[in-house]
Amino acid sequence: MSDPAALKIENLHKSFGNHEVIKGISLEAQKGEVIAILGASGSGKSTFLRCINLLETPNSGDVWLAGEKMRMKQGRHGETIPEDIRQVERMRARLAMVFQSFNLWSHMTVMENVMEGPLYVQKTPKAEAREKALALLEKVGLSDRADYYPAHLSGGQQQRVAIARALAMDPDVMLFDEPTSALDPELVGEVLGVMRDLADEGRTMLVVTHEMSFARDVSSKTVFLHQGEVCEEGPPAELFANPQTTEFQAFLSRMN
Amino acid sequence: MDLILEYKSQLIDGTLMTVQLALTSLLIALIFGLLGAWAKLSSSRFARRLAGLYTTIVRGVPDLVLIMLVFFGGQVTLNNIGSMTGLWGYVEVSQFAAGACTIGVIFGAYFTETFRGAIMAIPRGQIEAGISCGMSKSLIFRHIIWPQMVRYALPGFTNNWLVQLKATALVSIIGLQDLVYNAFTAGRSTGQLFTFMAAAFVIYLMLTAISDLLLRAVDRHYSRGVVRAR
Repeated sequence: MSDPAALKIENLHKSFGNHEVIKGISLEAQKGEVIAILGASGSGKSTFLRCINLLETPNSGDVWLAGEKMRMKQGRHGETIPEDIRQVERMRARLAMVFQSFNLWSHMTVMENVMEGPLYVQKTPKAEAREKALALLEKVGLSDRADYYPAHLSGGQQQRVAIARALAMDPDVMLFDEPTSALDPELVGEVLGVMRDLADEGRTMLVVTHEMSFARDVSSKTVFLHQGEVCEEGPPAELFANPQTTEFQAFLSRMN
Repeated sequence: MDLILEYKSQLIDGTLMTVQLALTSLLIALIFGLLGAWAKLSSSRFARRLAGLYTTIVRGVPDLVLIMLVFFGGQVTLNNIGSMTGLWGYVEVSQFAAGACTIGVIFGAYFTETFRGAIMAIPRGQIEAGISCGMSKSLIFRHIIWPQMVRYALPGFTNNWLVQLKATALVSIIGLQDLVYNAFTAGRSTGQLFTFMAAAFVIYLMLTAISDLLLRAVDRHYSRGVVRAR
């Protein structure tokens, strides 16, 4: 039997009230794959990503991480809830997330931000966590900012710290929710550069983005969402050269 | 001055009583405030309603009315229940317990609002970052919410605490021998009310000055990472 997919999502549905924003999305990421998720605002791409680690609870659908299924059950009012919150927490720790607005913990230094997960979630010994955090800050080019507080960093620097914080968990899959959308244009490059390096290392990544160049050049698969459904998907070279649907054509012409 | 020295043990005892009462009721108020804030932010409608009822009633009635209600009414009620159920005999509610509990519950309502506001001031994204690292609820509370909540709550906390410290003076009405009660008694028996009230005035100022110093240290500790406008 071949290895199970690093991440598999099956028939995911999500509604807010009567409004269905995700209408049955399935997606598979093999180990080392970089999947770029594109879509106009309101297409449900961020919600989809947030359903994977249960920041939003999907109404139905399954999430599998390296063959392990996130177990859900019906709550008292018919809503879907985790069967075992500990399992969800364990799986979240393997699904690191990078947010649009960085979300660094503002009362902790850069170093403390990166060490927090390893120290208190994974119970790594302090010296080891420290060493690892330093190495990761080195990797994102911020080892000289270890003792700074987030408020003293630029947006691009904060996002690189957030990436280091995500990497510190040794995640199986990394989820990026529009990681460059809140950045000034001149700061986008430094963050994309780090993400390119991660892709080259063979990290499995799901990236919701508006950066067409990143999708085209870095992703192994590009998925275009439209109104809560997968509208087109495939290798970016084919997809961008030859958009099949009018929706994707319209989207591409708006982005360029 | 000689007069004050003559009565200094009364003044010291009264001051100690005031401090004890203030600290005990502060502890009670903090517990009620945290529970209240938690209830107000909870997803349970019942908890939210209950907390709403609590803050509405307590904040809408004068402290003095509540203190007398608890001290005089509480004792009667407790004894009525006791004799009705036969579970306990005659009980006497101590002035200290009645005072500390009432003041604690009253100020718990104010702390509820302070803490609720402070928790809401923490950017939601920072909590989501904790969730997505696989942190448990308790870890998120201890490491992300609490340290930032304290910082946001501190100005409101300082206000509440100073008002609370002064509100302990109300217990002299139910006969608890706090600073005001003792100063008043000494003043009346010597015919020098002004002198003793001036002494109480100075002692209260000293107490608030000390707590101001302590709270500044707390503020410094919890303001890590805050960029201040200069």
